[in-house]
Amino acid sequence: MAQISFRNVFKSYEGGHTAVRDLNLDIADGEFMVLVGPSGCGKTTALRMIAGLEDISGGELLINGERANDLAPRDRNIAMVFQSYALYPHLSVADNIGFGLKVRGMSRDEITAKVKKTAELLELTDYLERKPAKLSGGQRQRVAMGRALVRSPNAFLMDEPLSNLDARLRGQMRAEIAKLQRMSAVTTVYVTHDQVEAMTMGHRVAVMNKGALQQLDTPRNLYDHPVNLFVASFIGSPPINFFEGMVGQVDGAPVVKLGSFTLPLGAFAARAATYHDRKVIVGIRPEALKLTEATEGMGIIAARTAFVEDLGATLLVQLDVDAANLVQASVAEEEDDLKAIRPRMRAMIDGVLAIAPGDVLSFAVDPAAIHLFDADTGMAL
Amino acid sequence: MAQVSGRQVFAERTAVLLITIVMLLPVVWLITTAYKPSNQIFSIPPRLDFQPTLDQFRNIFGYFDVVSLLRSSVAISAGTTVLSLLLGVPCGYALARSRSRYATGFAYFFLAIRMVPAIASLIPFYLMMRDIGLLGSWWAVVIINTMLNCAFVTWMMFSYFRALPRDMEEAALTDGCTQLGAFFKVAVPAARSGIIACVLFCVMFSWNDFLYPMFLTTLDSKPLSVALLTAYGTKDITWGSLGALAHFSTIPIVLMALFLNRYFVQGATNGVQ
Repeated sequence: MAQISFRNVFKSYEGGHTAVRDLNLDIADGEFMVLVGPSGCGKTTALRMIAGLEDISGGELLINGERANDLAPRDRNIAMVFQSYALYPHLSVADNIGFGLKVRGMSRDEITAKVKKTAELLELTDYLERKPAKLSGGQRQRVAMGRALVRSPNAFLMDEPLSNLDARLRGQMRAEIAKLQRMSAVTTVYVTHDQVEAMTMGHRVAVMNKGALQQLDTPRNLYDHPVNLFVASFIGSPPINFFEGMVGQVDGAPVVKLGSFTLPLGAFAARAATYHDRKVIVGIRPEALKLTEATEGMGIIAARTAFVEDLGATLLVQLDVDAANLVQASVAEEEDDLKAIRPRMRAMIDGVLAIAPGDVLSFAVDPAAIHLFDADTGMAL
Repeated sequence: MAQVSGRQVFAERTAVLLITIVMLLPVVWLITTAYKPSNQIFSIPPRLDFQPTLDQFRNIFGYFDVVSLLRSSVAISAGTTVLSLLLGVPCGYALARSRSRYATGFAYFFLAIRMVPAIASLIPFYLMMRDIGLLGSWWAVVIINTMLNCAFVTWMMFSYFRALPRDMEEAALTDGCTQLGAFFKVAVPAARSGIIACVLFCVMFSWNDFLYPMFLTTLDSKPLSVALLTAYGTKDITWGSLGALAHFSTIPIVLMALFLNRYFVQGATNGVQ
């Protein structure tokens, strides 16, 4: 078992590109830590630094309190599951799983026994003699898991292990991996760009962007209390709506004005006081918008339906809001693409309602579900 | 997929058949020459309804020390192939895994070595071999062929290893291998078909090579390829005997190509963009 710590870790490449900047992160023994972020955010580089596959340009990596910057991968006793699975094509499933044991000089009988046990756990017993080319995607993924599990390593590192599977299998394996981790209690660092995986699998989630750690917290807290615009927009699906707002007062009570709409600031009242008459960004999650009969008044947002996506249980409605300014929720890599698209407000409503494009809908906003961010720094108030 | 009409299939097959016939004609000519009675070898039009004879095969064992010629050919080819692979495979791997932006340039530079006209390097190499006392031995041919083939193997394996995902070797590293272990236990087996294709190329190049052994070997060390071309006009050697001798020079290559055909195509086309 292992504790892994990053201390002011930097990774920069020739040519000046910095993949990871000043990363400080403590992963506790037995913890399931998820690193999440858009592509190019440095999460895979951080993982590869733990494995020893990437040199560390600055700072310290500690494994069990000892400096591991210069340890060879083989001396770290860490198992890694690659996005591509990286199975050895010339070896059978059994030999793939047993490879690490063989390299470490374990006796043949012991290897056979361990491989058999692991194969049973992963339901691979019938495929032990097959070559990886003769396996389905899901089976290959399980072999890659088996190769990591069989060794009883100090830590598991997983680099987007589910991204090559179809949606249904991904859901199943998600639960499976989380179960295996709880069972083995081995420290696990799991890299993904899929926020569903991040929210459902980890004890804690580290959200990264542009090489820097944005927030480290439990999934619940990331969703409820994002520290900045990036985390708010990255966590949550469909993504949060951002509006330009102005903090003010109505009848002595603090409110935020979004164009012609006025929302009361219940829980934020104290913090928002310092922002009086200043611009803020207001975040409202699509699921926090509740359809209401009232068409105007305090806490109501009205908008015209642009189009409706029927997701079965719910409708995802995209609406044009003329009376307030929407701000595009941008996530690094998509920035340019998104700028070209007109921002629309998204709302999740009951799937049985008959909504058609052109309908004007009114939504009530619960003051507790409002997120406020500084318009200049992007940090949460 | 688009429907292929019967006429198209017929046209394609006819074209393939015609090309095959054109390619095989010299081979048929060569083979039949060995079995034809001497007076029918040059009959016009060429006849295929002759009475086959094995006289020419009996003759060549009288004229040539076939065993010694074969031994030389095998020694030169095997020596060249082993050395070229020992040097070229690790070299191609190192270039493929290099992070230097010049790696690809280097690899193509190696390929360019193979393109140097043989005759251009012959004279300086001849003098070098004379000075170090290897002239006339198999080694002289093995060394120069290794120089050329190793460059080719380096380029080919570079392309091959480049196409192999680095993940596999990294998995081996985290599984407990050293860098060298990852190369031997994972990269080399995974590149097996490329290596077999290289073996075929090396054997073919050096088995068929004429120019270097012609000038660098002596009567005792010369291979089949040299004997074939220098024999004509000496003693009582006829085209028929040469046809028979040519069997020994072509059959091993044809057999190798037949057995390893699938690696050959796979290896020769992999990673070449």
